[in-house]
Amino acid sequence: MSQSASIWLAEAVAVYLKEWRCELRTRYALNTLGLFAFTTLVVVSMSLGAEGVLAAGPSVLSVLLWILLLFAVTAGLPRGFVHEEETHTATALRLAATPSALFCGKLAYNASVVFLLQLLLTPLFLIMMQLSVEKPLLLIWTLLAGGYGLAAGGTLVAAIIAQARTAGTLFAVLALPVLLPLLVMAIELTEIAVLGKAGDMAMPRLLLYDGTVTVVSLMLFPAIWNP
Amino acid sequence: MGPPPHPACTIPPVTAPTTPLRTQLRFSDLVRSFGRLPVLQGVTGAVQDGEAMLVTGRNGSGKSTLLKCLAGLLAPDAGKIEHHEAGQTLEPWARRLAVGYVAPDLAFYEELTVWENLHFFARMRRVPTDRIAELLERVDLTPKRAAGALSSGMLQRLRWAWALLHSPRVLLLDEPFQNLDEPGRRTTRDLIEEHLEDGGVAVVANPRELELPHHEPKRLDLAG
Amino acid sequence: MKKLLAWILWLWIALMIVGAFAWAPLAQDFIGESSRILFFHVPMAWTAFVGFMAAGVWSARYLWFGRNVRHDQAAHTAVSLGLVFCVLATVSGAMWAKVMWGEYWNWDPRQLSIVMAMLFYMAYLTLRSAVADPQTGRRLAAAYALLGLAVAPFLFFVLPRMSGFTLHPEPVLNQSGKIEVEERMLTVLIAGAVGFTALFFWVHNLGRRLLSLSERAAARPIAGES
Repeated sequence: MSQSASIWLAEAVAVYLKEWRCELRTRYALNTLGLFAFTTLVVVSMSLGAEGVLAAGPSVLSVLLWILLLFAVTAGLPRGFVHEEETHTATALRLAATPSALFCGKLAYNASVVFLLQLLLTPLFLIMMQLSVEKPLLLIWTLLAGGYGLAAGGTLVAAIIAQARTAGTLFAVLALPVLLPLLVMAIELTEIAVLGKAGDMAMPRLLLYDGTVTVVSLMLFPAIWNP
Repeated sequence: MGPPPHPACTIPPVTAPTTPLRTQLRFSDLVRSFGRLPVLQGVTGAVQDGEAMLVTGRNGSGKSTLLKCLAGLLAPDAGKIEHHEAGQTLEPWARRLAVGYVAPDLAFYEELTVWENLHFFARMRRVPTDRIAELLERVDLTPKRAAGALSSGMLQRLRWAWALLHSPRVLLLDEPFQNLDEPGRRTTRDLIEEHLEDGGVAVVANPRELELPHHEPKRLDLAG
Repeated sequence: MKKLLAWILWLWIALMIVGAFAWAPLAQDFIGESSRILFFHVPMAWTAFVGFMAAGVWSARYLWFGRNVRHDQAAHTAVSLGLVFCVLATVSGAMWAKVMWGEYWNWDPRQLSIVMAMLFYMAYLTLRSAVADPQTGRRLAAAYALLGLAVAPFLFFVLPRMSGFTLHPEPVLNQSGKIEVEERMLTVLIAGAVGFTALFFWVHNLGRRLLSLSERAAARPIAGES
């Protein structure tokens, strides 16, 4: 690996580790996302009841899973950038960090948090909703690809709204149009995984979205982050 | 006396370099407004090679805004900023990474200790870790305290340590002695003097006079 | 010269309207005269799309090619205007859907796509109003517009082609392409697209100049501050 590439990687890794170090001391994101998702899951499960769950069927339940993840992400993800601006640590970062490395570090952290959330939430969901999965491997891939997409789109939008007022509500407004195609594709794939249907183009489409958002985010982030 | 040296063997005589490695910061006609409020209205100045500049003016006259523009934290609405270092002109993104900046609103990660904060930024700036220990000793700061638990004076020392991590040639100091006790003031003044002695430049915004016995600062008054 | 162009535009659109009602034939399989709405609905949707693209192009020019405020103003105006055309397209589409299938809303992928475009536009305008510093606001809005542009192909092209996307599966006619288009109808359709696009840019020009004047007036320094 060339020297500048390894320096860049070292920066991104430093950001990633710093995020986790701060997070483990406050447990903010894990608590927020986890509690939010779990509480919503319990509410849904209780409201539906055993019969409701069966009546809902795999299609609706696939939608529910991703709505849960979306809500949790909306609640907890923006903090990454918003907190930096609010506590003014962003100033030091602006003067010390290479924007692309910073973005990748934050993105990697957000993606890890989403994956962790999925790891905790999905088994619970499958149990409480009495859902059996025909193609479990496909479901795992879908969760990874879709979760990454949520993190990618969410991280960039978080960077945008961090410099605005009323950051909390603004995140949902701006993120939903961006994340909607991802959600639809992930839901479709989840349904395919649960029911064992065919669907050749579904995963490549989702990966294309992930790739597009990642590349565009890397292009846009320096202009968003720096004046 | 031996035979004259063959021309190809001649070592050219050593002369003083005609263009010494210069550090130069120039800004001209800087304009910056915040919405309807004009803050900077055509500010011009320059410092180079061992010069210091003291920026004075009442509250709201734009001292902090000027320093932020020079650091690259704010883009001026109009005007030019040139930053030359070691024969190169730095682009805005490079300027940001090159300057040493101390300001009252500079903050660090409260959950991390002093050492962890500096270590993080040292990795970002690709600076070896022994520099951290060196700086902590110089500004007299204990490494193990959480940044959120620092007194205002200690926080100011941390700001100084952070600013000097990468040995910048340009220092932009906004109220750099704020909250410091007498020993702290002396140390930081010495740091500025050493920096200027080394050929670096400094732009300082300070409400009071800047006492640098060996480097009388230029003045830029933003009032009016 | 400008006056002449304006007259030509009005004449063009007037002819197009006449053509839509009197000259072009009715489409098969359509109830009564309802197919005539196509000549307005399709160009409006097309123009909304054009507005989207234009906003993206101007945003890119602002962000990466000089930070010229005029480009940002052009993008802002394009979004506001595009939103108007989006609403028009949605409403005309819903009216037509009611006549054709008895329901204003059919979960047709294209209906949803245009609504998502509207959400994007509105989110952009919300963002603009939520940022304190004007310079920062321009930058963030331009970035968001470009993000929208990057995601747009998924909204407009990928999603409508997915199976199982509609929550209420219903065989719905593709509203623009699959109908056999007869020559006269095609002429009026294209004339409409051209006319509406020209109208868009004409109004856009006015709107941008108005925005520029109002921003300049709003930015006049507070009197009395030295």
